[in-house]
Amino acid sequence: MSEAVPTPQAENPDDGEVLHYPRDGGNEGPIVIANEFVDVVVRKVETRNGMRLEIYSPRRNACVRFDAVALDCLSYQEPEFITSLLARNPGP
Amino acid sequence: MATRPIGSGAEAELERIREGVPHGRFPAHVFNDQEIFDVEQERVFAKAWCFLAHESEIPNRGDYVTRYIANNNLIVARAESGEIHASLNMCRHRGNMMCKSEMGNASHFRCSYHGWVYKNSGELVGVPYMKEGYEGRLDKRDWGLIKVRTETYAGLVFGTLDPNAPPLDEYLGGFQFYLDLYLKQGSSGSEVHGPPDHWVTETDWKIAAENFSGDGYHTPVAHQFGFNLGYFASSGSTHSQGWAASIPGRGHGIGLGHTPGFPPFAGFPEELADEMRRSLSPEQVEVFSQTRTAVGTVFPNLSFLMQPFSIVPGEAGVRFVTMRLYHPIGPGRTEMYSWCLVPKDASEEYKREAYRAYTLAFAQAGTFEQDDLENWARVTRSAGSNMARDVEFPYVMGMDSVPDPDFPGPGHVVKPYVNDSNFRNLWSRWSDYMTGRE
Ligand code: FES
Ligand SMILES: [Fe+2]
Repeated sequence: MSEAVPTPQAENPDDGEVLHYPRDGGNEGPIVIANEFVDVVVRKVETRNGMRLEIYSPRRNACVRFDAVALDCLSYQEPEFITSLLARNPGP
Repeated sequence: MATRPIGSGAEAELERIREGVPHGRFPAHVFNDQEIFDVEQERVFAKAWCFLAHESEIPNRGDYVTRYIANNNLIVARAESGEIHASLNMCRHRGNMMCKSEMGNASHFRCSYHGWVYKNSGELVGVPYMKEGYEGRLDKRDWGLIKVRTETYAGLVFGTLDPNAPPLDEYLGGFQFYLDLYLKQGSSGSEVHGPPDHWVTETDWKIAAENFSGDGYHTPVAHQFGFNLGYFASSGSTHSQGWAASIPGRGHGIGLGHTPGFPPFAGFPEELADEMRRSLSPEQVEVFSQTRTAVGTVFPNLSFLMQPFSIVPGEAGVRFVTMRLYHPIGPGRTEMYSWCLVPKDASEEYKREAYRAYTLAFAQAGTFEQDDLENWARVTRSAGSNMARDVEFPYVMGMDSVPDPDFPGPGHVVKPYVNDSNFRNLWSRWSDYMTGRE
């Protein structure tokens, strides 16, 4: 796998949206998932014709939206897959 | 880890201390002494098997806690594969602390300085600007977190910094028989009830380790209010009854206090007592069914205590278990970690009651804990005074006791409970380590 840093292809929200998400979104989201290393915000996003799950990293200001097929695909990945993604792009 | 040489005078002094122990003499100053502390860091804590965590503190993948061996901060983590790994909590790039939180969950750790990323098992996986900066000169396989050797017994995770230390089973040397009382309460074993109470105290770790290796002698005096107010089911007239059991040459010891007429397994819920009768060996059942108080230390600094404690004075006691780690942070200064262990399969109601009994007696503000620490802090202070340099303490109680021939448990077991034999064993083991005979 390449060590090059790929440019995020996902849409980045405006800064206003970054700072003003509701803290308690219930099961619908936004839900904050955080540990001492990083925090991300997860929420359901309705598109005109269906649903996506948005994963948004406020500090990085990066955002990605996965549909059900993409999420299903994530559900059966080995932990090593994430390790390899982090190996590819650990940086800022 | 290499040990630094100390002066020949200090070596001779340690030899002299070692020779005094079998004769029932041990010096006061070792309980508060900078040089002793420094030597202990390298010769005891860097060599022995030291307690790190209970497996139930990190039940799920990615769970971690940070703990110490000597002055080394370690990450104890359950990897995504389910195995437990201990690593030095220091980034290999420039030494930043990786995990600043004492507990958490993370599949990967990312350094907050330059961003190196490690798996929670310690392998280095990600380096920012790898290609641009390192030009192929850095092999990630060489720069993982520093590993610490671990082994477990019945849920206890131990680590050692000594690659040549014997296996943990051999190190425990039969003391497992007694540890099972605390660790195998029922067929699914024991678990921690929440995170440990954790505080700094002005006492030396050795005073606490000695007390918990079976000091039944202090109980009716130091804890007399517990007796008099009806919190604790023992009486001054019979309190000396029971056994002192130690594993010779290993340093581990346990006091087993017995109250005449005490119903077998009193203080345990009935189902749990039945379960223990089934899951423990007949010898263990014989010993534990008669035990009111079990208070023991695994050399060097891990201790346990089980006893019934009445939540309402005069009412029947509730059994609780406290597990405690005395982490030395300076001469006469200790970081205490104190857990409540409960039987995993017990009812929520019993777990809650046991935790209440523990909190009242032995949590940071517990009555018994306060009684002990008041005394230990003053012992520590005295031990650091100039005149104490030449003072020795008598450890001659039970010097001529012959082992109890009818006792079914392992080790050197003598009566009565009120006895120094466990302490002589503890300090002779300590002296072995201090003089390089580990
Ligand atoms: S110190 Fe950790 S990445 Fe530099
Ligand atoms: Fe005590």
